[in-house]
Amino acid sequence: MCSRLLKKVCWTFLSSRLVSMVILLVLIAWVVPAAAIDGTELLKQVDRNLNPESYESYRKLINIEPDGRKKEFTLFTVKKGRDKVASLFVAPASEKGRSTLRLGDNMWFYIPNVGKPIRITSLQSVVGGVFNNADILQLDYAEEYTVEKLEEQGQEYLLHLKAKTKTVAYDRIRLWAGKEKKLPTKIECLTEAGMLIKTLYFKDVKDFGGGIVRPAVIETDSPLYKDYKSVILVAKTRARDFKDEVFTLTFMPNLESLR
Amino acid sequence: MKPVRSLVVAMAVLVIFSSVLHAAEEYTFDISETQKKPYHLGGYVEFRPVLSGLDQNAALYNLRFYNRNEGRTVSEYNAALQLEGSIEKGPAKLFVRMNVGYQDSYLGSTLTTAAYEAFLSLRPAPSLMVDAGKRTFKWGKGYAWNPVAFVDRPKNPDEPDLNIEGFIAASADYIRSFSGPLKTLSVTPVLVPVSERMNDDFGESGHLNAAGKVYLLLYDTDIDFLFLSGGSRTSRYGLDFSRNITTNLEVHGEYARIDDFKQSLIASNGSTRQTVSGVTNWLLGLRYLTEKDTTCILEYYRNGTGYTEKELADYLAFVHSAHDSYLSSGSAALLQKAAAMAESYGKPNAGRSYVYLRVSQKEPFDILYWTPAATAIINAEDKSYSISPEISYTGITNIELRLKGTILAGNRLSEFGEKQNNVRVELLARYYF
Repeated sequence: MCSRLLKKVCWTFLSSRLVSMVILLVLIAWVVPAAAIDGTELLKQVDRNLNPESYESYRKLINIEPDGRKKEFTLFTVKKGRDKVASLFVAPASEKGRSTLRLGDNMWFYIPNVGKPIRITSLQSVVGGVFNNADILQLDYAEEYTVEKLEEQGQEYLLHLKAKTKTVAYDRIRLWAGKEKKLPTKIECLTEAGMLIKTLYFKDVKDFGGGIVRPAVIETDSPLYKDYKSVILVAKTRARDFKDEVFTLTFMPNLESLR
Repeated sequence: MKPVRSLVVAMAVLVIFSSVLHAAEEYTFDISETQKKPYHLGGYVEFRPVLSGLDQNAALYNLRFYNRNEGRTVSEYNAALQLEGSIEKGPAKLFVRMNVGYQDSYLGSTLTTAAYEAFLSLRPAPSLMVDAGKRTFKWGKGYAWNPVAFVDRPKNPDEPDLNIEGFIAASADYIRSFSGPLKTLSVTPVLVPVSERMNDDFGESGHLNAAGKVYLLLYDTDIDFLFLSGGSRTSRYGLDFSRNITTNLEVHGEYARIDDFKQSLIASNGSTRQTVSGVTNWLLGLRYLTEKDTTCILEYYRNGTGYTEKELADYLAFVHSAHDSYLSSGSAALLQKAAAMAESYGKPNAGRSYVYLRVSQKEPFDILYWTPAATAIINAEDKSYSISPEISYTGITNIELRLKGTILAGNRLSEFGEKQNNVRVELLARYYF
């Protein structure tokens, strides 16, 4: 009888300890999951999943007004490494031949009629609408931002990003990325004070071939442009290497030769 | 005014009509839109009526209208077709840009056709390009003026973005990229042959002129060193730069030294003389963009090849006295002498010192596709000026509409005060294809 009682006491004790340990483990897993994930590495993964480090792609930018009217621009974009991006307008006819170039913190805009590039800033927009030059000549997020905080929200990670320098278009960014594919689903661009400038929604994940599986549609809206919307449609993205000389002022009038 | 009023009404109807014709539809991206053809043909067609108010007291009015009475206003109707075509095969590309212009004015109708550019380009590698044919180079960082544009025709500061006709030349671009403070280095040698049948308006014929440019992107600053060797024109050399001081403030400048520059001068009594000396042209400017998308371009231009306030005033005084002589004697001899000098004294910005200010506001009050702007060009010595307010609309794909006015004002014997017009209204309608 004593041994039965002892066994019962031991079992009760062990059970309660086991339950406590399980509860503790669940709590630890719930409260501190991010400690196992490096935010910077996650951001780099998101960048690589969006695009190869060096690539070419065709994109269509569509500015949509509240009454449904739209203006479309087709761009051919090439990127190499950390800080070299160039875009060439392919359509419409009034924009054809115009190009933009980004080399580090320098940005230029080339109009064939003018015949020489002029310096522009990331906050300007050569296409109008909600998108600006920083959106068109996008570098890797890990290149321009540091990760201040990483949270888990259900099936998504939420990265709180801070601009590395004052030349970056947005002081702060909140980036939601799916846990499974590590692709962005939503990005909020904010001022230093936390005011929302615009929101980008990443949709319609497609396989572009060559291992590139990424959103094909990016919609943007902004409280600063109420009821206006801008959309980027991505097509024909592929990894491609380029000579550094492609990303120079002197080569800008010849970007068409890369197509 | 009736034709211009009709055109303004037409412009308004076009804008309203286009806003009714919209269709809310799903967005699509057809892959065929990205296919590149080996050839391209495009360009634009434009219609540009102009109405000018004549200043019947101005010296240049007397010079041009002494023997005709056109009333207080003159109108002109301009149309232009600019065609661009290119064919590519491998590393070779042939490019042609033609301009056909038609003008109907008080002087009659004229039709002009010019090949602005026609050249063959070889690109064996991204770091090496070779061009031969008729082309423009567009050297310089200035917006309204380019003192270092040694191998181009001068551009019109009232319309600095317009295409200009090139010269026949051979050139090459060699580019190298680096990491570190020097990010890019490129070298552009140029040869411009001049004979009686080729580039005859470049300068003295019978010379093969060498020119060149070295470009650096150094510490995030664009820097060019440029030269033109003596021959058809006197030798000249210069440099320019452009840099962002802050993300929304850019500064730029140009400096050019011209050796043995020849200038013909006429005194108020009609006596002429010629001077030969080294001169310096330079420009300093900035471009500032505000948070509200207001762009301000401010430039100061020191034109060493230009006329001083007194030299310009002497010429204009001579024109007045020549006109008085014509009225009293009926002889236009002195006016014809003045007209022979009009090409240099009457050209755009013939003076010594200028300020340029352009302010444009993109889509004010969030009204999409409208851009009002105003441009002022001030002769800093005689304080005369031109002011041009304008408004443009680009809401219809491939169509650009612009209404522009210009007011010229200044004291007697000042540059802008003695132009033949004191006011001008122009409508531009351009369709790109």
